[in-house]
Amino acid sequence: MVFLVILIASFLLQMVLPWWIILIISFATCGLIGKTGKLSIWSPFFAILLLWTGMALFKSLPNHNLLAGRVAEMFGLQAWWIILVLSVLLGAFAAAISGYCGYHFRKAVLVKKLNT
Amino acid sequence: MENKIKAIICVIIPLLLAYALNTKFGDIPPLLKFLDPFTGFWQNSEKFSVKKSSKIALKGTQQTVDIAFDDRMIPHIFAQNDHDVYFAQGYVTAMHRLWQMDFQIRYASGRLSEVVGKKAIALDRHQRRMGMVYGAENSLKGMMANPESNKMITAYTAGINAYIHSLNRARLPLEYKLLDFSPEDWTPLKCALLLKQLSGVLAMGSDEFYMTNIMKKFGPQVTADLFPDYPFRDEPIIPAGTKWNFTPVTVPQPPAAFKEMTAGDVKTKVLEEGIGSNNWAISGAKTASGYPILANDPHLNLTLPSIWYQIQLHAPGLNAYGASIPGAPGIIIGFNQDIAWGVTNVAADVLDFYQIKFRDNTHQQYWYNNQWKNTKIRLEKIKVRGSKNETDTVYYTHQGPVVYLQKPEKLKIADNVPSGHALRWIAHDESNEVMTFYKLNRSKNYTDYRKALTYYTAPAQNFVFASSANDIAITANGKFPLKWKDQGKFILDGSDPKDDWQGWIPAADNPTVKNPARNFVSSANQTSTDQTYPYYINWEFGGYERGKRINDKLAAMTKATADNMRVMQSDSYSIAAADLLPAILPEIDPEKLNATQKEAMNITAAWNKFYDANAIGASIFDLWSKQLYHSIWADEFTIASVPMRFPSKDRTLRLILEDRNAKWFDNINTPEKESLHDLVNAAFKYACDSLERRYGPIGKRWEWANVKHSHVPHLANIPGFGSKTLMIGGSKGTINALDESNGPSWRMVVELGKSPKGHGVYPGGQSGNPGSPFYDNMIDTWASGKLYDLYLMKSTEDTSAKILTRLKISKK
Repeated sequence: MVFLVILIASFLLQMVLPWWIILIISFATCGLIGKTGKLSIWSPFFAILLLWTGMALFKSLPNHNLLAGRVAEMFGLQAWWIILVLSVLLGAFAAAISGYCGYHFRKAVLVKKLNT
Repeated sequence: MENKIKAIICVIIPLLLAYALNTKFGDIPPLLKFLDPFTGFWQNSEKFSVKKSSKIALKGTQQTVDIAFDDRMIPHIFAQNDHDVYFAQGYVTAMHRLWQMDFQIRYASGRLSEVVGKKAIALDRHQRRMGMVYGAENSLKGMMANPESNKMITAYTAGINAYIHSLNRARLPLEYKLLDFSPEDWTPLKCALLLKQLSGVLAMGSDEFYMTNIMKKFGPQVTADLFPDYPFRDEPIIPAGTKWNFTPVTVPQPPAAFKEMTAGDVKTKVLEEGIGSNNWAISGAKTASGYPILANDPHLNLTLPSIWYQIQLHAPGLNAYGASIPGAPGIIIGFNQDIAWGVTNVAADVLDFYQIKFRDNTHQQYWYNNQWKNTKIRLEKIKVRGSKNETDTVYYTHQGPVVYLQKPEKLKIADNVPSGHALRWIAHDESNEVMTFYKLNRSKNYTDYRKALTYYTAPAQNFVFASSANDIAITANGKFPLKWKDQGKFILDGSDPKDDWQGWIPAADNPTVKNPARNFVSSANQTSTDQTYPYYINWEFGGYERGKRINDKLAAMTKATADNMRVMQSDSYSIAAADLLPAILPEIDPEKLNATQKEAMNITAAWNKFYDANAIGASIFDLWSKQLYHSIWADEFTIASVPMRFPSKDRTLRLILEDRNAKWFDNINTPEKESLHDLVNAAFKYACDSLERRYGPIGKRWEWANVKHSHVPHLANIPGFGSKTLMIGGSKGTINALDESNGPSWRMVVELGKSPKGHGVYPGGQSGNPGSPFYDNMIDTWASGKLYDLYLMKSTEDTSAKILTRLKISKK
């Protein structure tokens, strides 16, 4: 569920908003409906991994990975797919951290409410 | 409390993460902003398959414009009025080259620090202090005063802005994402800046600082001997003996000698052979078709995106094809139904330094014509990314800006600028060069061509011309100051009115020739005229070598075809080698050589003097002759505290051929007395040993292409965005003047006739996007010396052209 919500919301909102919207989506989704800490890491992680891999390939394959190859060379990397792996892992990692933080934010706020 | 902290941390971590991955640190791009597949670089990956047609509605057009893009993505614009044709030119040029245009004007106007930060401040200050913006502002007045060029610039600017406004973050050109900035609106001033930048590249040369130091060190006799006003070997552009059909105006008298000269503290610059170009036209008497053929290849520092942008402009009264400069409307080098034209650099002396005597350290007054005169102040505000903005004060005398009161350290392009001197430069004057191209694009005959040239100021160019009416012509054209002989060869006295520029050579008196008896005209940056020309343009020009080779080939040619011209453009025969080798080869003592050197000598002796890709003799001769040149002059002309330059290659050749006992051959830093013989042998061994150290035993790796290492780098030198190493021949001083990354930036051959046929290529492609298949698709064709057929389409449906895609711009 968390996975799907992040995947779909990120896809739609990224059409109009900058990349950091995925951090807000992951934070909010895991903060609202994240079940466990572990899931709040892996759901955003794989959602963004999948989404970004899909989008990157959608743009890059019809380009015969020409640009990805040039950018890889610019970063001193040997092959175009390394820049793909780097892009999606970094995006997925950031989303995962954000999701995890969202989950624990809720925990912290909820506990606080119980205490009062 | 503990939970409160936890909650805060949980919010702070994602915020920090967002910030860190969205910010540029040093040279590292904002990582996730750049790598994000939705708005980052992935979006710049262009499909290899192109949509057949598309439509847009834009506010700026007056009527519908049809644009056909051919199989190399070259736009052919069909508009129904002048406004729309230039609007569309601006729009498509921005579509393909926006970042390049932006970056070039930032460079020209000293605004790089705004986007790359502190590291560009010294360069920005230099550009401002040289008066680039000041010159562009003056120039703009001239462009806007003329209703036709005003319309042209305004429409072109509107077209660029229409494209800029259509962009969103995902569609921004790649380099914006990498350097993390956004395009701002285009303005007419930016068009003027781009044209100033051309003067900056082609007419910013200045040796007077060095020459003055040489005069002080060696005295007038040696200076006149080693730096003569006319070359030893000549091949003037206007054939020697051409009669001047005008009565010259009176040239001002030189003042009494000016001796009070100062010296700075920078290093000797080894004289680099300047930026060169070739053009020629042959009359119908020498061609197979009976109509003229014109050829042009301007040589510049090659970059990707390509320097030039090919385009066809079609509107009522206009149908021209050729190479344009991204950022300036019209076509610079090209052809239409009736005529063809091309350019090479003249290298006129249109930049002079004046020594200024200030009253005091406030620099508010300077001595001129026996009284104190006020300076003007211009404040240059430089924005610096990630740092405080800076305001630079530049003092202007009536001559121009005082470029430096104190020289910057470690800024190579400032080396030839003396401190405390005012700069008088043609590029500071009001001018209207675009009008020349407006007129040339529409010219029908010789008269139109001559008329078009009168609008031109700088950088002075040799405009070659051919028409279907079987006229050929060439004119060394620009606005030339009316100088006394050698005015500006040395630093001038800023207090003496006689040292000022006191008028202009009348445009009609510029060196020109029409239909000469030899049935061809040509230029290759060499001396414009023989010594009978009544005015002074400069004391030194490019070498005669390329001009000589071109003229030898053309003189021998009959029934010439476009293909003969194409082959000539990639000719790499070295006149310099033909001149020098017979004099130095016999000097070598074979018995004193080791095995490698001996083999190298045999190879050089057998070399056919062509700088072919696989010629080993070329590699040896090149390094050998350079080392010889250096060893003759370096001892006398390198003094750390007195920047000087070396005598020319031409003067050196004369010294070797005619004056073997000259004192200059002796190395003054050794007790022994060296002779030419000693230097030739030492230089030869040095060349062989260097090549051996670097490339091992004589073999494939010694081949010229491997030693030369030609390639086309990216404009901002971004790795991965330049070309691979090109294993091709050519060298400075040969017609195919390609060295490491300076060479033919556009090759064009046009066969005039009932319907003209154009052929052309540049090292790059139409698109400036490294993610486009059209970014560098023409490089291999260029490297192999071939040309593409150029389509001068008669209508949008003209089937002689292969059309890939169409764009219709309609009025919104």
